[in-house]
Amino acid sequence: MPAHIHISDRKSKRVAAFPLRRRAGLLRLAFLWLAALSPVAHADDLYVVCASSVTLAMADIRDVFLGEKQFAGPIKLVPVDNSAMQPDFLAKVMKMDAGKYTTAWTKKSFRDGFTPPSVKGADGEIVEFLKHTPGACGYLGSAPPPGLTLIGKL
Amino acid sequence: MSISIQRNFGALCLVGILAAGPCVASAEDASSDTVKVLQQRLEQSIKMIEALAARVQELEAKTAATSAAAATAVVVAGSQQPPAPAEAARLQAVEQQISQIETANAARQGDDSGLAVHGFADVNIGNHNPFHAYEKGASLNNLDLYLTPKLGDKWLALFELNFEVDHNGNFGVDVERAQLGYQFSDAATVWVGRFHTPYGYVNTAFHHGVWLNDSLRRPSFLMFEDQGGVLPAHTVGAWLTGGARGESGKVLYDAFAGNGQQIIGGLIDMRSGGNEHGKLIYGGRLGYQWTAGSFEGLSFGVNALDSKINDDQVPENLTDVRVAGAFAVYDTDTWEVVSEAYWFDNVNLYQGIGTHRSEAFFAQIGYRLPYFVPYARYERARLDQTDQYFAQQLTGGSYYRTAAGFRRDLNSKVAVKFEVANTHYTDRTVGEINEFLSQLAIRF
Repeated sequence: MPAHIHISDRKSKRVAAFPLRRRAGLLRLAFLWLAALSPVAHADDLYVVCASSVTLAMADIRDVFLGEKQFAGPIKLVPVDNSAMQPDFLAKVMKMDAGKYTTAWTKKSFRDGFTPPSVKGADGEIVEFLKHTPGACGYLGSAPPPGLTLIGKL
Repeated sequence: MSISIQRNFGALCLVGILAAGPCVASAEDASSDTVKVLQQRLEQSIKMIEALAARVQELEAKTAATSAAAATAVVVAGSQQPPAPAEAARLQAVEQQISQIETANAARQGDDSGLAVHGFADVNIGNHNPFHAYEKGASLNNLDLYLTPKLGDKWLALFELNFEVDHNGNFGVDVERAQLGYQFSDAATVWVGRFHTPYGYVNTAFHHGVWLNDSLRRPSFLMFEDQGGVLPAHTVGAWLTGGARGESGKVLYDAFAGNGQQIIGGLIDMRSGGNEHGKLIYGGRLGYQWTAGSFEGLSFGVNALDSKINDDQVPENLTDVRVAGAFAVYDTDTWEVVSEAYWFDNVNLYQGIGTHRSEAFFAQIGYRLPYFVPYARYERARLDQTDQYFAQQLTGGSYYRTAAGFRRDLNSKVAVKFEVANTHYTDRTVGEINEFLSQLAIRF
């Protein structure tokens, strides 16, 4: 009898614990699989993109977003910020934080009468803006669709 | 589960003890009472074991049910059917709405969605008013608003409206800048209207935005016309400005022409409605700014202007004000060094005929530490008092000033500044004043 109880107890522990472990393992695998396929895995990617008519070098982008460069040939540039990707963009391209970026535009706007870039909420809005605005330049967290000019990927 | 295991283990121990008990008892020929007690205990133990066994069975049944449910869920999930047609239609409608919102937001370029108003303001407390030294105590200086409405294409507009306290202590409103512009390219933008005359660095870098300046105030001779400045800080006319970019920097230029100013009530007036004699102010500025390399942040340049400026005296004076200037600036994340110099070669045309030479300069050095920005400045103006251009100005006297102070940014929009200054007046009035000034300056 004691032996039976002992065996039964171990068995019950195994019955209770094994499915849990198995389920946790499956969940972990599923998460890893999803993570591998999801864009979140490439969250570090940043695509600098302009409207189709714009030709620019990546080295010009900082000046464009500070209002120092307003034209690409005869085309008036229209920079647009992407609030979802802005911290990444400021760190990688502008080499400054949000406070310094805002201050730079306060000075630029006050001195030269230029308006700061308008701000869109996410990639979808940026893509639409770039498609419909000649001279527009922005940045995305995912690869741009055909019809836009990829200036660079960081 | 662990509780029942502990109980089982306890019961096993008890059974073991009890099983050993009769042997010991028989060996020692124990009394029948003792045997009876032991039998009772054995019965209790057996009952406990049966209860524990029942509990174990119950738990096993539960675990089996849970596993079965989980397995069923997996099967259901695996065989999930596509959403019903109604659900699919609803999802499609939501997707379409999101797409429409994105398109609408993207198309809304802010042209007609309102106009942002930004500006600057400052309040000063000290033993003197920093802008009108003969007044003491607390003082309001500026409430300066600026607007940059979007006009579309290559058109630009800039308006700077200033609510300020004048030298009589009265509030007034001034349209400090009202510019309409057109951008031809990065190399050429034309503005027409009222603008800050492009000379030196300070006059077109800080405008009326006190917050922008690390120091509490400008050099006295470079103040605006109603605060002690001796140069025509505003011009009404046309201004061509632009730059040409190179590898490590850019050449910047300005050329302008407008109404010749007039001295009225001891202050230079920019004649926003035109002047009586139709004569012009004209001039230009040429500079170079390093934007890369080891000299990044350094810029220097020269400027010149010529203006026919009359006054309100009877008979009136008319002076050909001829000014040449030079400036150098080193502006980085850590350093702010600014220096400007001006040489006047004025010709009085109606009264006090002759050429009069004067000069003014300043140098300021500031270092941007993480928590505050200390600075020091020296400024000097040697102004010929026989020159009617200076003689007719309320603040046209010569002076020199030594000042030191610091700026502390309380957050990204609020700064507090302190300055101590010693000023010597050297000709029109002779004397000195010591100033202890504080200022709270904001941007919004």
